[in-house]
Amino acid sequence: MDCGDWLSPRSLLRSLQRDEFDDRKSDFSPEIIHEILSFGAVVGSSIDCHCCLDRAMDEARRLISDNDRKNCSTESGRVILAERMEQARGRFARSWHAPIGGLWGCLILADTLLPEASRLLPLALGVAGCEAVAKLGGGPVTVRWVNDLLLGSSKLGGFLAEQYFSPVHGESFHLLGFGINVNNHQFPSGLAEQPTSLALATGRKIDLAPFSLLFLRKLAWNYGLICFEEKQMLAGEPFSGHDGAHALLSRWRELSDTIGRRVAYGYDIQKNLQYRATVTGLSADGGLQLLLDDGSTIVEHSGELRYLD
Amino acid sequence: MSGKKIDFDEILGKYHSDPYDYVDIHAVHTGVVSFRVKEGDLVDGASGEWRHIPGNQLYEISRERNPKVVTSRTNGTIHSIAAELEGQFVEAGEKLLTIRHPLKKKEIIESILKEVLVLFPAPERAKYYFALDVQSRIEKKGARAVTIEPGDEIITMSLMKRDTPVYYSGEAGVIHSIYFTPGISVDQGEPLIGVCSHDKLPLIQKIITKVKADWDKISSEQEAAA
Repeated sequence: MDCGDWLSPRSLLRSLQRDEFDDRKSDFSPEIIHEILSFGAVVGSSIDCHCCLDRAMDEARRLISDNDRKNCSTESGRVILAERMEQARGRFARSWHAPIGGLWGCLILADTLLPEASRLLPLALGVAGCEAVAKLGGGPVTVRWVNDLLLGSSKLGGFLAEQYFSPVHGESFHLLGFGINVNNHQFPSGLAEQPTSLALATGRKIDLAPFSLLFLRKLAWNYGLICFEEKQMLAGEPFSGHDGAHALLSRWRELSDTIGRRVAYGYDIQKNLQYRATVTGLSADGGLQLLLDDGSTIVEHSGELRYLD
Repeated sequence: MSGKKIDFDEILGKYHSDPYDYVDIHAVHTGVVSFRVKEGDLVDGASGEWRHIPGNQLYEISRERNPKVVTSRTNGTIHSIAAELEGQFVEAGEKLLTIRHPLKKKEIIESILKEVLVLFPAPERAKYYFALDVQSRIEKKGARAVTIEPGDEIITMSLMKRDTPVYYSGEAGVIHSIYFTPGISVDQGEPLIGVCSHDKLPLIQKIITKVKADWDKISSEQEAAA
């Protein structure tokens, strides 16, 4: 994959400082934007572009392990991209079709966040994907809890968050995997959900490198937001979202239509649908609040949804 | 299992003479306490398929005008209560009351096993599933044929769709008991699995058989006396 000038740490940083600043100035003061951007600027500290990988997450593990054995630490913010992946998969070892044309990759982050903050990383992925597609004018994009990216009712992208401990020194990293259907338009039959791509939805070919830059920029912002809100919490200051809520959760609520929906819930919903319920809200720690048919309530912090209405 | 000698007769005798578990309830954080139960009250624990229906209210604790009601997770009788703390400010972790929970045969066996197995606790409140390799070995041979060692990646912790490998730290042995169900949340500190070294397996089986036999004998004696 030719990253070229479009997709380099320098171009990403420039885009963060200029374009992301402009995108956020109606919601935050310049001082806060600068602070959030300085936290997020680690994303894309280096960007590796490959023609083909089996899996970007596996490549990240290999890099971390190799560095660890040489008594080196892998840089936080390193991004691994591939034009296509041969053995891509989602959660529960589900296969993921990743041919040429999509945005496939992984971000490596050193585990420097408190558990209360790092649990929000999967939400940041969904919000970043949603914001990037919306910015591109890709159509009615929404995020379904936790972070499924939907265009209308079709699945546009998926994200994977895993923690990895280096084998020798036990250094902890977050591996954030992303897969967005951009120009790819053929999908295997028998998928659990109807897939779509940005090219199919818009009827035009999307320039992949600028879109990748846009997604990474949004991811950098949302990661910076988590760091900033963690700092606020540690200082005993209020969060910076609406009504003192965590700003990432406020943004997630704006971009998601999950709240109020009738849903089927399952830990691994393709294997076991556990119950049906109505979503009533998002808890302060990102959990999904559900009203069951017997009138009782439950808060889920893991699992998957399908909309029923 | 720890290397120390365990007097099984003493453990079994304890459960014969007093087949109850005494569950201490502590203040979840600092605040002013107001009890919702009194000594001798019967309380129910959490219920529902996912234990999502709260049990009886035990106490309310209020911190900075933010009240929190704490409910019972187990059924039983209020055995003792620190009534002098009513309306008082307490520190986090202060013991507030004790619930006397009547044990069933299965619970007694589990309680004894928890005393003799190496328990591996949940690092956070989350959902857990076995690592793919361990799951496949369990499916092929059964958990009690699966040996694990310190440092093995045995379980995946799933929280907010973020998967974290959990590495075993404890004595090497076989997975004797599994205390979690995939899809059901486990509280921090609750055991996920109980591990037993190979050479102690026959002894564990002996305990289970003895408890079952003793329990059935007591039950039939009680029925005859009635």
